[in-house]
Amino acid sequence: MSSKPHSSNNIAHARRTVQQLRIEASIERIKVSKASADIMNYCTEHARNDPLLMGIPASDNPFKDKKPCTIL
Amino acid sequence: MAAEKAEMDALKKECDGLRAQIEAARKAVNDNTMSGAAGGVASVGRVQLKLRKTLKGHLAKIYAMHWSADSRQMVSASQDGKLLVWDCFTGNKLVAVPLKSAWVMSVAFAPSGNLVASGGLDNICTVYNIKAASPKTLRELDAHTGYLSCCRFLSDSEIITASGDTTCCLWDLETGKQKIMFTNHIGDCMSLALSPDMNTFISGACDSLAKLWDVRDGACKQTFSGHTSDINAIAFFPSGNAVITGSDDCSCKMYDLRSDQEVIGYQDTSLNAGVTSLALSSSGRLIFAGYDDFNCHIWDSLKGEKVGVLSGHDNRVSCTGVPDDGMGVCTGSWDSFLKLWN
Repeated sequence: MSSKPHSSNNIAHARRTVQQLRIEASIERIKVSKASADIMNYCTEHARNDPLLMGIPASDNPFKDKKPCTIL
Repeated sequence: MAAEKAEMDALKKECDGLRAQIEAARKAVNDNTMSGAAGGVASVGRVQLKLRKTLKGHLAKIYAMHWSADSRQMVSASQDGKLLVWDCFTGNKLVAVPLKSAWVMSVAFAPSGNLVASGGLDNICTVYNIKAASPKTLRELDAHTGYLSCCRFLSDSEIITASGDTTCCLWDLETGKQKIMFTNHIGDCMSLALSPDMNTFISGACDSLAKLWDVRDGACKQTFSGHTSDINAIAFFPSGNAVITGSDDCSCKMYDLRSDQEVIGYQDTSLNAGVTSLALSSSGRLIFAGYDDFNCHIWDSLKGEKVGVLSGHDNRVSCTGVPDDGMGVCTGSWDSFLKLWN
């Protein structure tokens, strides 16, 4: 049983897999401690501008249904 | 035959060697965990958001939603065969787009606000001009051989799609043709997210892998593993240096791009439902993850702790989104409603 086309597909696939792994193996990696610190710093620097962390005053809340005011 | 077998053996050996090399390189930089590093960060406490609006109008399960760049309009897609564009400040429906195929799985708003796109089991990504007097089909992008699971506009002239045919694709909307195909996943692509600078995007697939792609040259630059089931949801951390994934294995993970590995996981033994969708607050500190258990659970992205829950839907939460100004969260559900929280 000739499996020539089948096996050359497998070889082409294997070659592509090796190519891809070579790309992924070649990248520079930084230490997780530095990566984590940068993520943490981003969060803390931007926390005060994060409405879902800080809360939104009712007057500034675009999604809050505004109830009509009654002047007593 | 012998020569081919020898080549296959050599290639397989090289693959194994490269995989081991990648694992060793990751291990070599793995000097800490995020939760370890975040020990000194102040807790966010209990995050209690209030339901501000329930948007009623769809007549069947909602599968997708996407905020406009103006943080006010939002488009939702339902298997009732309609896209609805909402003004979320008033709760009014602005535009209704009838779909040729009701089996929609994804919807996207162009950054300009002029166009929306949708697609699903028809394998086609249809782009509509919603600024016309009545919504006009601009393009039908028809080349995927599997369902359209996700789409995101780069601009009014380019869109990226993810498909059940295991590929992603960059399309030119002027010509309606594929510009670049992104092929490397071995399972259905379920979700994609654009990097803040739009030079790269990430995809999550049923092969349980997340992949980082270069938009312009089509190359897969990095692959992230660790999930044990389909990745249904994916998002960039706002700095662009990390990626969050949500999976049918009931967990979410954060992968850092520069250290090329998982830095923290978000799972809880009491949570036995798959993650369907996720979105981050504007600082990246909070992760809003929609689950099959009808809730959207809120995670502290740094400490890996559950800090809140958005409860109110009567069926699976299928989609979640935070607008660019970070002013709220929208959840969409199979119960046919969208809810706005802040």
